[in-house]
Amino acid sequence: MSQLIKMLAISIMVFVPISSHSHDGEKHSLIGESKADKLDQCVEPTEVMQKEHFEFLYHQRENTVEKGIRTKNHSLANCIDCHVSYDEKGKAIPVNAEGQFCQTCHVKTAVNIDCFSCHATVPRDNSSKIKSTGYNQNIHIESTANNLVEYYKETNYEK
Amino acid sequence: MRNSSELTRREFIVKSVTAISAVYVIPDLIPKAVAAKPLDLEVSAKTKWAINVDVNKCVDGCTACVEACVDENGLYGFDRPETDSQWIRKLRIKDIKTDKVTTLPMMCQHCENPPCVDVCPTGASFRREDGIVMVNQHTCIGCRYCMMACPFKARSFVHENLTEQVTSAPRGKGCVESCNLCVNRIDHGSETTACEEACMKEGHHAITFGDLADPNSRVSLAMQAKPSRRLREDLKLKQRVTYSGF
Ligand code: SF4
Ligand code: SF4
Repeated sequence: MSQLIKMLAISIMVFVPISSHSHDGEKHSLIGESKADKLDQCVEPTEVMQKEHFEFLYHQRENTVEKGIRTKNHSLANCIDCHVSYDEKGKAIPVNAEGQFCQTCHVKTAVNIDCFSCHATVPRDNSSKIKSTGYNQNIHIESTANNLVEYYKETNYEK
Repeated sequence: MRNSSELTRREFIVKSVTAISAVYVIPDLIPKAVAAKPLDLEVSAKTKWAINVDVNKCVDGCTACVEACVDENGLYGFDRPETDSQWIRKLRIKDIKTDKVTTLPMMCQHCENPPCVDVCPTGASFRREDGIVMVNQHTCIGCRYCMMACPFKARSFVHENLTEQVTSAPRGKGCVESCNLCVNRIDHGSETTACEEACMKEGHHAITFGDLADPNSRVSLAMQAKPSRRLREDLKLKQRVTYSGF
């Protein structure tokens, strides 16, 4: 499968001369605006990213899941954070929606994206949910976890 | 005997009120500037994540830890309790001789000899160096052998298409999942899991998380302070989750 993806990606490189050698303020998606629109370059040169982004992602996912390495550069969460577009109301549009960054290219090359049956398609924070229920209102952070240990020693265990 | 359990409940309430009126201390929600482990470092066996549960402090009717887990990992369900994912659940145990009711949180016990890992045909169910047992959903084929092998019913299978996953907890149809000790936030330097944090916020302090390798960590102190034991010790799975108080 990855062989197939590779072949397809290479054939795009060969047959579709891509003009965007740098970002040049060029928009990355047909609808909305993303952080990436404003940057000069992705985490690697654009040509490399076009050809090999999935290799980076495969490599990163093994490192992250098995070894707990959480560097940002090649992490899918970071890709989405930067490449997700926001509409006029500031609402994030899923990266796999029509006309969006991931989807546009993948439709063109007829390569299915599997990532998003599990991964979030917009940056979605868990704490925002907690905030929205008012769950952590009225709690102010007084201390760090170290003091917590002290607190714990004093209050919770019979000597 | 009912009375005595009533008394302990009252004690809990008094305790929680004291906790609220006392200085409110909660651990940093935001990953600290100096992470416990640099983001680019592999996890190692030098860290031994573990949880101790004091069942005497766990309050009947409280589900703060479960709710926190749902929030943290985006585990919304489909109102089908039989099949919806549960990474942590509350158990209510009644002693038939004394009528004493005990409640406790139950989650993946993070066995050091995990049967779920032994049976997995693809290696998707695995144990990280620091002791966290989890599913690599990239390679899980959804055979559910691990669910059958687990003596604690700790694992769930996702039966339906999901759309509202949170960024820090990818999950999807066709894969098995279970408690991973909030692996994402731990890797980012958090010193507490969502369930422990919630339990502390409630003032109950029944769940204690920490690094067993560090004799001064919260969990080590908790386990030094009182005897603790593993569930089904006869199976010799050497779980990292231990229970105190029964
Ligand atoms: S409790 Fe179950 S899922 Fe967790 S490590 Fe043990 S056997 Fe595996
Ligand atoms: S369901 Fe997934 S993790 Fe469990 S045994 Fe099968 S392949 Fe392994």
